[in-house]
Amino acid sequence: MRTLRAVLVLAGLALTGYGLYGLLTDHFVQHPLEIAEWAVGGLLLHDGLWVPLICVLGATLARSTPVRTGLVLAAAVTAVALPAVLRAGVDGGNPTVLPLPYLRNWLLALAAIAVVATVWALIGRRRRRAG
Amino acid sequence: MEENTPPPHRRPYDLPLPTPPDALRRGPLREGTFGSALHEPRTAVVLGRWLGAALLTCFLTGLFSHLVQEGPGWLPSRPVNGYRVTQGLHVISGIAAIPLLAAKLWAVYPKLFEWPPARSVLHALERLGIAVLVAAMLLELFTGLFNTLQWYPWPFPFRQTHFWLGWLATGGLLLHVAAKAPLVAAHWRRVRPGLAQRRAFLTAVAASVGAVTLTTAGQSVPWLRVTDLFAPRRPDLGPQGLPVNRTAVQAGTATVPADWRLAVDGPRPLALSLADLARLPQYEAELPIACVEGWSASARWTGVRVRDLLELAGAPAGARVRITSLEADGPYRVTDLPAAHARDPLTLLALRVNGEVLDPDHGYPARIMAPNRPGVLQTKWVARMEVL
Repeated sequence: MRTLRAVLVLAGLALTGYGLYGLLTDHFVQHPLEIAEWAVGGLLLHDGLWVPLICVLGATLARSTPVRTGLVLAAAVTAVALPAVLRAGVDGGNPTVLPLPYLRNWLLALAAIAVVATVWALIGRRRRRAG
Repeated sequence: MEENTPPPHRRPYDLPLPTPPDALRRGPLREGTFGSALHEPRTAVVLGRWLGAALLTCFLTGLFSHLVQEGPGWLPSRPVNGYRVTQGLHVISGIAAIPLLAAKLWAVYPKLFEWPPARSVLHALERLGIAVLVAAMLLELFTGLFNTLQWYPWPFPFRQTHFWLGWLATGGLLLHVAAKAPLVAAHWRRVRPGLAQRRAFLTAVAASVGAVTLTTAGQSVPWLRVTDLFAPRRPDLGPQGLPVNRTAVQAGTATVPADWRLAVDGPRPLALSLADLARLPQYEAELPIACVEGWSASARWTGVRVRDLLELAGAPAGARVRITSLEADGPYRVTDLPAAHARDPLTLLALRVNGEVLDPDHGYPARIMAPNRPGVLQTKWVARMEVL
């Protein structure tokens, strides 16, 4: 365990150091501070806004397993789909970029998740009543 | 005698830090703010394992792709679909990491408000390292996803930043695993009875990974095309049923000069018109275009073998070939075809795709199609081949 941890620390320091060195010396990266700003901005948005919102939602709305599962799925699908939904139609003159109806597909996916979660919740309720 | 007892041995980096006054323990810093029973190590360890696997896959496939593009000379030309698989995996594991990272960070979120904020210098350093790790990972996944959409809202260059942040995030991950090794080892195996809530949550996260994979992976996995809802490309949509990364208009090659000749510079220089090329023996090969951004599409390409052209030009065996495109500029206007690819019987100077003359967007009058090669190096609108 001690050897493994020592190896991990050394490798981790080496990789981190190489990455930092690269960011600071790459001549295409002229303003490394801009990257730091975006990185810190992302951290603040995630930890300061997004997760607190999720925690409040979880503590108030998502009390049952079907609802919680549905919300987790909806959030994951939205994280991946929303950029495409917002960007749809902006192809810079190349129509093969973003060729699908992303808004429709996203709403369909959310609706499917909502239907499955609702059916699941109803079945669970009936079972509890019967049992 | 008090003075004679030695002070307890402390390494300098392990020096304890004073605890701030309790009056500062407000808001989320209070004990018991976070009610869920899932903010516990076993959940974090299970999610961490999945996330770690996804990130390492992402890092290694990304590193591979970077090395291929920096100097393709060492890459063999087989398997034909090699690059397609590694880049498909890169984007699939990156997208899978999005719900995994979110779930993992939610599980450990209360640790952000642990009390005291720093027990020792070492503890403070560890927390700082986690901040760097999380920031690097968030930015890495964000820039990667947006790059597949060709959307660049940030002021810094994508490729270099994404590459260096990958090292930073992976290094940070190794340091984090080293710091948490005893905790990880203690919760590696499941203790029975399991926690029903945990099982439900992990199932929800696994289902999320499945959902984002199924709805995007169709851009690289042909049999997942039916469930493809959100991928930025569809392998069957585009001129002649194929996507395009850079159109002829974008590259300024929509009109090809009427006197176009393929120049092959070797010991016996050649200048071949389209009619000359059509008279040479034609070969057909099923080859994929595999983009760095994860999408790939197979097609039937027909044209002249590059190795036949090299022989006509009197090139020595083992020669590399420098390919120049008609386009005025672009980072891949001039590319090198390594000897292994140049000699491969599947490597074509393609004149047709799926039985039709190449669309301008696919590189009319001629393009390079070689097995196991990044899409950006499959040069379109070829003007010149130079034996090196």
